[in-house]
Amino acid sequence: MNGSGVPLAAFVTAMLAAGLVAAVPLVLAALGEAVGEKSGLLNLGIEGMMLAGAFFGFLAAFQTGSAVLGVLGGIAAGAVLGLVFAALTVSLRVDQVLVGLAITIFGGGLTAFLYRDIFGGQNPSLNVDAPRIAIPLLSRIPVAGPAMFNQGVLFYLAFALVPAFAFVLARTRFGLQVRAVGEYPFAADAAGVDVTRTRYLAALIAGSMAGLAGAFLAVADLKIFQVGMTVGMGFIALALTMVGGWNPYRILLASVLFGLLRSLGNGLQILGIDVRTEFITMLPYIGIMIALAILAGRTSIPAALGIPYARGRR
Amino acid sequence: MANPHPPAPLSRRAGRGGNEEPIDRGPIIAMRDISKRFGPALANDHISLDLWPGEVHAVLGENGAGKTTLMNVLAGMYQPDAGTIRIAGEEVQIASPADALRRGIGTVYQHFTLVPNLSIVENVVLGDEGGFLPDLSAADAKLTAMLADFGLDVSPRTEIRNLALGQRQRVEIIKVLLRGSRVLVLDEPTSVLTPGEVTALLDLLRHLRDQGVAVVLITHKLGEALAVSDRVTILRNGRNVGEFGPDVMTGAAKESVRDRIVEQMFGATQPTETRHHGAQQSIDVSPGVAIKHPGHSEPAGEESRHSRTDAAFSRDSSFLGMTTSLRRSPSRAESGTTLLSLRGISTLGDRGAPALQDLSLDLHRGEVFGIAGVDGNGQKELGEVIAGQRAVSSGQIFLDGAEITNRGLGTATRLGIGYVTDDRLHEGSVAASSVTDNVALKAIGRQPFSNGFWLNRRAMDEEARRLIVEFGVKTPGPETAIGMLSGGNIQKLLLARELALAPKLLVCNKPTTGLDLRTARFVVQTLREQADAGKVVVLISSELDELMEISDRIGVMYNGQLVAVMPRGETDLETLGNLMLGGARRAFKVPA
Repeated sequence: MNGSGVPLAAFVTAMLAAGLVAAVPLVLAALGEAVGEKSGLLNLGIEGMMLAGAFFGFLAAFQTGSAVLGVLGGIAAGAVLGLVFAALTVSLRVDQVLVGLAITIFGGGLTAFLYRDIFGGQNPSLNVDAPRIAIPLLSRIPVAGPAMFNQGVLFYLAFALVPAFAFVLARTRFGLQVRAVGEYPFAADAAGVDVTRTRYLAALIAGSMAGLAGAFLAVADLKIFQVGMTVGMGFIALALTMVGGWNPYRILLASVLFGLLRSLGNGLQILGIDVRTEFITMLPYIGIMIALAILAGRTSIPAALGIPYARGRR
Repeated sequence: MANPHPPAPLSRRAGRGGNEEPIDRGPIIAMRDISKRFGPALANDHISLDLWPGEVHAVLGENGAGKTTLMNVLAGMYQPDAGTIRIAGEEVQIASPADALRRGIGTVYQHFTLVPNLSIVENVVLGDEGGFLPDLSAADAKLTAMLADFGLDVSPRTEIRNLALGQRQRVEIIKVLLRGSRVLVLDEPTSVLTPGEVTALLDLLRHLRDQGVAVVLITHKLGEALAVSDRVTILRNGRNVGEFGPDVMTGAAKESVRDRIVEQMFGATQPTETRHHGAQQSIDVSPGVAIKHPGHSEPAGEESRHSRTDAAFSRDSSFLGMTTSLRRSPSRAESGTTLLSLRGISTLGDRGAPALQDLSLDLHRGEVFGIAGVDGNGQKELGEVIAGQRAVSSGQIFLDGAEITNRGLGTATRLGIGYVTDDRLHEGSVAASSVTDNVALKAIGRQPFSNGFWLNRRAMDEEARRLIVEFGVKTPGPETAIGMLSGGNIQKLLLARELALAPKLLVCNKPTTGLDLRTARFVVQTLREQADAGKVVVLISSELDELMEISDRIGVMYNGQLVAVMPRGETDLETLGNLMLGGARRAFKVPA
């Protein structure tokens, strides 16, 4: 049925797997962003934080030979930038958009510089263990099984974090405080919630998750670092956060759809279907724009998003 | 949890009469010599204040007298520059709002502190000190009883945004009481309430007082303070200028207390001679004339600046409980010719829901047309439609017989229709821009402010200075950002800006909200003068007293319709309140 002679089932499995894997960094980054935005912090620095996570994750894994330490290094890099973001926007009340863009530019520049400085002209790839874990029985489900249940640890972690984040936001004291300070910080303050502390924690989570997303790319998925390797994924995660209405489950759904659209685009090319490559690559992005346009008026944006809080000023 | 039902004052400590707890002899809160400075302004100047358990304590004063600042110090929102606070005799530093709550001081702010998209129970547990997982079901159980006690027939899981303002206020009170507050501070609690809700709130405060709570009522409404307080403190210009204890407040001499309080609130402009009046002070009803009181103690230079305000204030009387001084011929409205007609107007609100439904109305020259209604029944939209600021989806609007339906705001302004919004800071002004720029903004493209390309800064500046003097606006200068001024002064400027354009018709939406008595009087007086000069004034207000005082006709909005239009003389507060709440439509004539 197709020119390349790939069996259909194997093709679909590969498509599915690629789509889901492509969704992983988006889900991770968007979950963190959702917590940040729910607390009133619009972090346009995700892209830079992801790149930092990717580079420092790669560096740590390269130096130690340990994937675990690599991932931790990536998280740490993102966390540090998250704290920088919080210090500037929460404590010093600098405009969030400016700080976010600055971090994105800084992350790109710093990692490009360090990568060239440390690795010279070489482009080494990691030689670390990032084993696939096949889940018994489930991985044998035809077609979907191998795609969904024969993956790396971070893959499962990303999907497991979705209900975890949903629970934290909806049910825990911390989640309640996050929602309150993002909606009406004056009320939260009057009720005795430490607005500054809550926003710092949210920024820390947003940064760590972006760092983790970057580390996933460099350490677990591709096992290489490339300058600017996130290619706008941070901004896609930002869009997915809004498309998902700050709801972890909907963010997951949006991310997976985006990932699948992207892998479908690649798949069509493999199948040799005669469509311009540029058009196919555009598909997921057009999808995002349509979704944003449709959902624009429907989701209720956290009321205090982007607005610094100072006690006694309203 | 050791005690699953911590303080639920309404249902628990009800056993008074029999075995009363011994009451501490001292005040529960003693504030001494509190000073707080904001830039050049000394908001609190060595204020001392004692709060006693089992008392309602009114803190009275004009806007800017320092009431809210003082309470924010007590609530931990501000740190005082000087002075001490003792709680039950022990000196304390109140470091933050959370700290104040821990020490038993609960504050209900003028701007509510409930997160609209959280449920009642979530708002209540917000800020609790507790574990990772708040126990919502336990809180639910506590709340359900409490909500019922407070007359709220809603589930604890209801989101705040679905509650009416009066209900939200009760939730605020419940919230701080559940945190174990022994002191309950309410900042201008009645400004958002309907008359019925005000009565209910005052009853509730009396009830809480009887439970031993120290209730602090911050207000500029004298009537409320007199109705409910055991003790009154009067602040003026940041100082404590007088206090009346329970002996006076609950004694037989209540009427004389009223006069003494008024004198202390406004002493400088109140002639000393009137102190021993048994009758009313002399009232001058000629518009715009400054009154020279015997014993007028203001410096001469200040006089011209405040002249209009003083005149307005002196002519007032209703708040003193005296007779209404503004007499007009009742047939004025009929004698005026029709200026603006609305025919079958329907329109949508901001959220796309119908806001006005098939509404018709004629406005006559020389009348103040008052519009009453509970918030959200279409008053704002009606005002905007009249002002040309909101398009109608059906119906027609005629100005002097010529149709102007949906011709837009620019046309309306050119044709002489002015609008003063209720949203002074966002819609009405550009907060960060200067007084001058804001004053000129509505006519910025026209002479004399502009020749079409260049701005004439000098003309703008002159106009700003002129209006500042004429309307007695308190501002450091015309170059000050308008957002730095008090609400009353911004309101004066917005009104001045419209009047400077000499409109034939002026729509004012809640022009006196949050203003002190003196400024409110001034605004109301100015509107009446406009009508007396043959203009049409549409006054949307939640202050029924104000509507009753200056309107020739009053229309009541309910559910997007004018359910009644009545000449002022043919209605009363009770009727209005009833109609506002959707009460039966009486046999009032609704004009075509």
